[in-house]
Amino acid sequence: MNLLQRRQFLGRLGLSAAVMPFLGGLPSLATPTASGGRQRMIFIFTPNGTVPPHFWPEAAGADFQLPRILTPLEPFKSRTLTVKGLCNRVRGDGDGHMRGMSCLLTGIELFPGNIQGGSDTPAGWASGISIDQELKNHLQSREETRTRFGSLELGVAVPHRADPWTRWTYAGPNQPVAPVDDPYLLFEKLYGRMKDQESLGSVLDGVHQDLRRVATQLTAEDRDRLEQHATLVREMEAELKSVREQKLEHPEPVLEPGAGTENDDMPRVAAMQSDLLVNAFANDLARIASVQFTNSVGQARLRWLGIEEGHHSLSHDPDLNESSQEKLVKINVWFCEQIAALARKLDAIPEPGGSGSLLDHTTILWTNELGKGNSHTHENIPFVLVGGGLGFQTGRSLHLEHTPHNRLWLSLAHAFGRDLKTFGNPRLCEAGPLALG
Amino acid sequence: MRRPVLFRRLLILLTAGCGFVAACAGESGEAIYRRLCVECHGERGEGVAGKYDETLHGDRPVDSLARLIERTMPEEKPELCVGPDATAVAQYIFDAFYSPAARARNRPARVDVVRLTNRQFRESVADLFGEFLPPLPPAAPGGLRAVLYQSKGMNKKDREVLARTDAAVDFNWGTNSPVDGITADQFSIAWSGSLIAPHSGMYEFRLRTPNGARLYINEALRAGDSNRRDDSDARRAPALIDLWVSSGGMTREGVARLHLLGGRTYPLRLDYFKFKETNAAITLEWRPPHGVWSVPDAVHLSPDPSQPLVVAATALPPDDGSLGYERGTAVSKSWHEAVTRDALEVSDEVMTRLDLLSGSGARDPRRSERLHAFATAVAERAARRPLTPELVASRVTGFFTPGLPPETAVKRVMLRALTAPQFLYPDLGGVPDDFTVASRLALFLQDSLPDASLIGAATRGALRSPEQVREHVRRLLATPPARAKLRGFFEHWLSMEEADDISKDERAFPGFDAALLSDLRRSLELLVEEVVWSERSDYRELLLADSVPFNARLAAFYGVPPPEGAGFQRVRFDPAQRAGVLTHPFLLTTFAYHRSSSPIHRGVFLTRNVLGRFLKPPPMAIEFMDDRFDPSLTMREKVTELTRKDACMGCHATINPLGFSLENFDAVGRFRTVDNAKPVDAVSEYLTADGERLLLRGPRDVAAHAASSDEARRGFVRQLFQHTVQQAPAAYGPDTLARLDRGFLESGCHIRQLVESIVTLAALHGYETHLPPAP
Repeated sequence: MNLLQRRQFLGRLGLSAAVMPFLGGLPSLATPTASGGRQRMIFIFTPNGTVPPHFWPEAAGADFQLPRILTPLEPFKSRTLTVKGLCNRVRGDGDGHMRGMSCLLTGIELFPGNIQGGSDTPAGWASGISIDQELKNHLQSREETRTRFGSLELGVAVPHRADPWTRWTYAGPNQPVAPVDDPYLLFEKLYGRMKDQESLGSVLDGVHQDLRRVATQLTAEDRDRLEQHATLVREMEAELKSVREQKLEHPEPVLEPGAGTENDDMPRVAAMQSDLLVNAFANDLARIASVQFTNSVGQARLRWLGIEEGHHSLSHDPDLNESSQEKLVKINVWFCEQIAALARKLDAIPEPGGSGSLLDHTTILWTNELGKGNSHTHENIPFVLVGGGLGFQTGRSLHLEHTPHNRLWLSLAHAFGRDLKTFGNPRLCEAGPLALG
Repeated sequence: MRRPVLFRRLLILLTAGCGFVAACAGESGEAIYRRLCVECHGERGEGVAGKYDETLHGDRPVDSLARLIERTMPEEKPELCVGPDATAVAQYIFDAFYSPAARARNRPARVDVVRLTNRQFRESVADLFGEFLPPLPPAAPGGLRAVLYQSKGMNKKDREVLARTDAAVDFNWGTNSPVDGITADQFSIAWSGSLIAPHSGMYEFRLRTPNGARLYINEALRAGDSNRRDDSDARRAPALIDLWVSSGGMTREGVARLHLLGGRTYPLRLDYFKFKETNAAITLEWRPPHGVWSVPDAVHLSPDPSQPLVVAATALPPDDGSLGYERGTAVSKSWHEAVTRDALEVSDEVMTRLDLLSGSGARDPRRSERLHAFATAVAERAARRPLTPELVASRVTGFFTPGLPPETAVKRVMLRALTAPQFLYPDLGGVPDDFTVASRLALFLQDSLPDASLIGAATRGALRSPEQVREHVRRLLATPPARAKLRGFFEHWLSMEEADDISKDERAFPGFDAALLSDLRRSLELLVEEVVWSERSDYRELLLADSVPFNARLAAFYGVPPPEGAGFQRVRFDPAQRAGVLTHPFLLTTFAYHRSSSPIHRGVFLTRNVLGRFLKPPPMAIEFMDDRFDPSLTMREKVTELTRKDACMGCHATINPLGFSLENFDAVGRFRTVDNAKPVDAVSEYLTADGERLLLRGPRDVAAHAASSDEARRGFVRQLFQHTVQQAPAAYGPDTLARLDRGFLESGCHIRQLVESIVTLAALHGYETHLPPAP
């Protein structure tokens, strides 16, 4: 969150923001949680396509084996659904990576623009809203599903630039949403006011003493002014104290200091981001989230796996290059481990006011901008769903044929009670939502 | 009530023919007051609740007061006190408590211990952190530096073709190239320099382009800000307006708001590129406070760099202005919360620039030590003096505890410093020392904190003689923040704040729109600036000038020949018709109704601000309802009719003649000779505060009177003192104003020298007698 955003953020809090921040708008403080029935959704992006033979289960149906890349999901196999055969059929301006990224959650063309890729025509932002923002707006529009943030847009090692390769969620046409890839900034966004309170709490007493001491040396009229001031400081202290005595249902995580947003910090940042995300869900600060690992054409170097080459460069190597394929498998296994770790954390927390765990009321959806890196195909894009947020039938592998992915977004919308007829490009929505229930 | 009447009549009979009425009757003015007036006005004119609860004070001369009493007092029985009795009572109350001199004597003014005003708070915050960056020479106006590049695919700055200065950013190249040597299909331009903010307040910015552009204001340049490649991953500053990615060749618009401080400069950068869109165009506009949407011109843009400023932007509750100048006397809950929130926001903002300000990066092995040093320096600057080791321990070191990141400690030190009484109350009374003098100088001249040079002088004991102090005053007065503060005085003196939201009847005044009003304001500002900063800096010139800076639009509207050359140039008027600021159309427009002139508003302004006289608030609010009058009346006739009652004429005897003298100007300040089909009558008789009868035939007579009147001049000295020091002049000694006025007169009414004298006098107040021995 940059300063301007922080300003706007603080600005929304009203005049008493400095001292009265938690007295409203934080549902988790109203201790007994409202009734269950919460639905949550997490979209996760990793780049450069997958290694299909090691990703897709061979068999369709309930009796299937998890291939190598998906093995970290073994403990959640019964709550996992793989969907093969979905394609990003959106055409138009922009190179394959741009469209793979910016048309993924939007299902609609990019505007013609001034950003030139290595090939094809230059393009701009997506011309429509993304499905995560659509769901967020739907939840925020109703009192019973409204949360403080509605949605959280997270990133891990996202480059410091804004273009169709680095943005996948859109609040509307030409309105990309920037992910927060610095866990400390995310913490600030989620709990900054608590830190402000702590800091304030640490100085008020000293200020009060100063005022009292100074006041004694003044004439009566001036003394009144400073004593009035001292009283206001005392009142603020008391208000702060009473506010701070209220505890979050799930205390905010303690972040270890010193993690940067550079390449080598990825494992730490990924873990911190997922801790913050799970905590935010547990406290019901949001019900929709997205996590973007690097970007389309991402060049992360996963050195901690002993891989020095950039991810995107490796993904261009031919299928016959066994060493590269092996590295790509390892990279994707690592990504899958992050998904599994997130699922594990969600599964460890009982659903407030409901049955099962948070994971039983949350669906994690893992996807990619391409089906396969070296062919740049938009066919058979990876879609893996873990968890019970949508009420889909899990514990199975689904094989479809050349189906526009827009139809999956329609299924999500319907699962959230939003009965859209089309989403994104209407031509790609014929035959309606996929039957996944 | 019968008895006193009989008794009075008897008394008059008995005392007839006696030279000294009061003496002969054996009844003094005081006795009459006690008998007839005290019931409603109280022992010392303080008023009586339920009867007449306002204090009796004002600036009428004794004879005017006597006539008023004779006509109106006691209420409903004015015949009880007439002739010599009225004079005796008038003389008594004048000497005892009514006159300004009596009031000063009765309630010896003192220097209040007050908090920073809102303006002082913001200026101080900006300067608190400003000194941690290397100083740059002041950015000189003249447009923005522009560097034009040939682009090549993703590479936006493939080849530099031309560097130049652009007076403004408002281009439409269509399908063409901006300059020879660059292809029309793809190129980029980087504008950089500074924005010069004329006023404090909220600024809006608007960027429009069918291409790619990013606007940065008040951001330090960071690595990666060159935007050379589309896919570069360098970390750049957050843009104020980001329109980098184009959308189908459509012209997009981005708007943002920023709170800026007047008289300051802010780094500005605008990166732009075109890539294969059909058309190329870009416009940067702004809407400054009191202004309209327009392209900022070269006067407000500089090709020179500036350092970014930390700006406190929380809305603070308005300061008390009930005495005619802003005072930090109100300590309310909303003020306290706003200041606390500002302290939080400011420390957050500093945290985003901590490496830059502290000179220590994240990987600095001595980071903790450097941050401690930075925090100590912040705490000392905020306290306006060096801290004792005990205070460093409690206000700084105490926050650096094991287990707490040093960054958090810095943030807490800042919060502590920004909320401490030593920061919020700049002069905490007690015995003034060298640092008090330094602190006052900065406050009086710039509404801010002492700079390094002042602190240095205080440390060396070199701020003790009036000569030493005056030298710093001269240095500081030339700085942009001091000029901005002085400009603020004239805005206040000329009631320019009241001009916002003015609207005029479009049918009656076609062509009078917001843009023209904005030009008028600029014209008046320029007139004042030119006089104040001229060599003679003569106050009388403000009143008597017979030319005004106008641009072509103003000249056309006001029917004078257009000025030679572009922009604002002096245009001469017939000296018989107009005189200095008094007839500046901006003021005449401000003090007028939607369709007609307002002699009352104009007269009140002249009475209070220009002639320095006191007026009490009207006893009741009477709305001027134009349709209640006989439609054939002139404005003068209507006002005369409206205010003819004795209760009104107490003040309107002064207000009306002054207002009527400007009746030759309509509601937008155009000269006229006819009002409502009758010839304008601008002639009246006016009684000065010294009791002199004056025939006013028009604005030039008013201006000539103001320029030569001791009372008007003293009023100016008083108002300038109040605006500069924000305390009552009498608190600095009963003859403070008289001394300053004498010097002012001797200097040829030199405004800047008057400021110097005011500041020197007030800064050393109470100090001379406590001079410590020289080191």
